[in-house]
Amino acid sequence: MENRLSSVLLAAALLSGCGWFHRGEKAPPQVVAEEPPGEPSVIEPQVNRREVKTPKIKAKDFEIGGYFGALSIQDFGVNPLYGVRAAYHVSEDIFLEGYLARSKAGTTSLEDVFPDITVVSESGRRFTYYDLDVGYNVLPGEIFLGRGRAFNSALYVTVGLGDVKFADKDQFALNFGVGERLLITDWLAMHLDVRNHVFETDLTGRTKNVDNIEATLGLTAFY
Amino acid sequence: MRQLLALVLLLQAFHGGLAHATERYLEVLVTQPYLEMHSGPGRGYPVVYVVGRDELVTVLYSRTDWYKVRAPRGQEGWVRREDLARTTLASGEPAPIPPYPDFSSHRWEAGAGYGVYNRQNLVTAYGDFGITNSIDVEFVVQQALGTLDNRYITSIGLRHTFVPEWKWFSPTAGIGTAFQYIEDKAPPAPLQKSNQMAYVSLGARGFITRRFMWRADWRHYVVFNDQNVNEELEEWKIGLAVFF
Repeated sequence: MENRLSSVLLAAALLSGCGWFHRGEKAPPQVVAEEPPGEPSVIEPQVNRREVKTPKIKAKDFEIGGYFGALSIQDFGVNPLYGVRAAYHVSEDIFLEGYLARSKAGTTSLEDVFPDITVVSESGRRFTYYDLDVGYNVLPGEIFLGRGRAFNSALYVTVGLGDVKFADKDQFALNFGVGERLLITDWLAMHLDVRNHVFETDLTGRTKNVDNIEATLGLTAFY
Repeated sequence: MRQLLALVLLLQAFHGGLAHATERYLEVLVTQPYLEMHSGPGRGYPVVYVVGRDELVTVLYSRTDWYKVRAPRGQEGWVRREDLARTTLASGEPAPIPPYPDFSSHRWEAGAGYGVYNRQNLVTAYGDFGITNSIDVEFVVQQALGTLDNRYITSIGLRHTFVPEWKWFSPTAGIGTAFQYIEDKAPPAPLQKSNQMAYVSLGARGFITRRFMWRADWRHYVVFNDQNVNEELEEWKIGLAVFF
């Protein structure tokens, strides 16, 4: 008995639910076409308009990657260098770039001849820099490899400023350089760079501007 | 076991990435007599393929003012923004090629430059958000490198551009608060290593090309300290910025 009662209640609930749904449903809009008399009526398609989303175009103006090479620290020999770089390409000609790199200085000739003398402490031999640069693609072009392959490339110049930390001191440094970007694919690039970091120092007794030239090879990805 | 789980997760992520890579691209209809495709994203690169009228091309991505597209038969190349803007969607609407941001009403800005802060060389970088066309919030991070000390300065402030419509030269003025940290290099040591500061600024900005602009700024800081008299500092700087 109880079972039957519950099934009746359930049926009632279902029916009322259906009723509710029907009430909720909007009546299809009545299209009243004004037809000239005598012509056959055109069937109005009752198809909902599909919402078409136009896909967005991805901008790949950023370039990020790493580099390594040799840094000639004036008076301290040539030493390995490695760093990271990130660039934003503003136009086909101009880009803004930031660098962060580290190297470790060797010994001066004085220290080599007289091993008792230390010009810079061990922790001070660490050479780190950051740079903020603006670059200009001077010679864009293509590089050909054999008959069937062409790679897009650009020779660019950069100029910028930043901080060099050497001998436990931060110094304001200017840098300028020239580089070649070779696009292996449209998103992967190889870089060859030569840059000079110039700053003022009094490490070797008198205050002078030192040139620290680096030659590096880098790999970057556009995204 | 944990390594296996990590591998599975990595593979899953890779798979997700692959699935993501097969996303839908924008397709546009060439309505001009032809659409030229260059071999690279630059004005000097030769035209390597030409798509005829009423053909659909797939827009893959953009780099600066160039768009990488794929022709119906699979050839890929780079199309200039102006040329792609003349295409339409299949529905006949103009292709959604974003125009350059308007200089007088741009929202975001980021830049860097050189300056002099308290007679020290200054490296400066900043970000800027426009609340209205004439009022911006600017956030600045800078490093001053001197012979006696190095200073790290961060600041946040409001800037007013007097006539944002003036394209090549428009004066600005601002106020804000700043914080400086002094890193001692040579004696005597500073009395206080860090200070709260307040500043007023006068400056100017101007349009250079496309999304590029220049900015120059002079600031007068009041440095709050423990002494009886507050220190006062001056700074000027000039920089390049990109706006979005």
